[in-house]
Amino acid sequence: MIDLDRVSKQYEHGQNAVDEISLHVDKGEFVFVVGDSGSGKSTMIRLLLKEIEPTAGMITVNGRLLNTMRHRQVPKYRRKIGIVFQDFRLLEEMNVYDNVAFAMHAVEAPGRLIRERVPQVLHEVGLSEKYRSLPRQLSGGEQQRVAIARAIVNNPQILLADEPTGNLDPRNAYEIMKLIEEINLRGTTVLVVTHNKEIVNQFQKRVIMMRKGAIARDVEEGGYIEA
Amino acid sequence: MFSIASVATMTACIFLFGVLFSVIMNVDSVRRDIEEKVGVTVFFVEGTSEERIAEIGEEIRKIDHVTEVTYTSADEAWENYKAEHFASNPSLAEGFKENPLANSSSYTVLVDKIERQKAVVDAIGKIDGVRQINQSSAAVQNLAGFNRIFTGVSIAIIVVLLVVSAILIANAVSMGVEARSKEISIMKLIGATDTFVRAPFVVEGLILGLIGTVLPLTLLYIVYNGLIRGLLQRLGFMGRIGDVLTGAGHVFAVLAPIGLILGLGIGLIGARITLKRHLDV
Repeated sequence: MIDLDRVSKQYEHGQNAVDEISLHVDKGEFVFVVGDSGSGKSTMIRLLLKEIEPTAGMITVNGRLLNTMRHRQVPKYRRKIGIVFQDFRLLEEMNVYDNVAFAMHAVEAPGRLIRERVPQVLHEVGLSEKYRSLPRQLSGGEQQRVAIARAIVNNPQILLADEPTGNLDPRNAYEIMKLIEEINLRGTTVLVVTHNKEIVNQFQKRVIMMRKGAIARDVEEGGYIEA
Repeated sequence: MFSIASVATMTACIFLFGVLFSVIMNVDSVRRDIEEKVGVTVFFVEGTSEERIAEIGEEIRKIDHVTEVTYTSADEAWENYKAEHFASNPSLAEGFKENPLANSSSYTVLVDKIERQKAVVDAIGKIDGVRQINQSSAAVQNLAGFNRIFTGVSIAIIVVLLVVSAILIANAVSMGVEARSKEISIMKLIGATDTFVRAPFVVEGLILGLIGTVLPLTLLYIVYNGLIRGLLQRLGFMGRIGDVLTGAGHVFAVLAPIGLILGLGIGLIGARITLKRHLDV
């Protein structure tokens, strides 16, 4: 599903954010990517989204080599990937329904499909009752649920989550991770970047530990072990 | 705020463009009118035969830029002179027993552009049998010179104003883009195409361009039409004034499409320039 072959990314100031990492993630797998700030976790997410280009190495997702993908092919590729951010990135002036529908409008889905699919996804994330609320009227956990609904509404094959529990209290963090786990159980490959030790230890999934841009440890069903 | 500023600048720019364009068209129309009327008169050496005069006519016709060659015989010249100067007192003309303009048969030569007249005169001067060439083109040449300078200065002013308008529209769109940069980045990350992201901003740019064009053109049409009507009413006694001035319909048939293309083009370019860096994600 996801293959990184000796991938490096050096930013303009010269620092190697990611240094010759190789990684394989199977279809339907759930992976935690952990590590300190500046260890290269978020760079990996940006590389997978083709937001930035690798300096060296090859990235293959869903059998498609990202290195040679043209700019105009990127939107179609991104439609197979759902993305969740730490700061939710919801549109403040839109209500819950519109924030989710927005993702379908952006990929030019027909109106009939949007009216059918959005309530269904809001039900899945437990926000059916709050579809008219504005983001500022919701708790952090609820806002992240909206962000997750937006990420999965187009039925992505992969869900990338960059510190999805970073702004949440432990109870909400656990509930959000349970929701992401449910999505994974329905067949979506999930890659969660986090430094939340409790969550990683609770869920006992594959854990990739990054340090200074390299993979320091890669364990199946592991916990958050300091490198 | 930026939208108002950009529409205002654009309005001023297109309005000024329209004013300059109308002036250029009218000055050019006056110049053409004079050009059509002012010719070169060619006289022949005394005693030149009718055959030779006909040959000279043919030689003149072959010169580049000559559009018309009209022969006036000595008798016709005298008749014209009488009609012009003795119309009120024909008995005075009868005092002349013989044609006083007996040696004044001539060709009137018209050229396509007044600037070419000197070259044509030089060429005619080299023809054997030509005694004298009269030209009264100084005023027309001055007019042509004025129009050239005026057109050059106008184009320079218009180009500067159009660039300023494009920058202001780009700024107006840029403000909108900055305000919605979060929305744009989310759109891009969830797979929206550049066209989808660009569309509302391009439409915004086009609307700004359209308003900034339609407004001054409408205003200019009203002002121009009023001015032409006023001139015709006040100067109607001059007879041909109506033929020389360019009507509003004629000016706007050219000005409106050019103005619209400029306005919409500036709007489009302004929007596209601004969006480019936001779409390279």
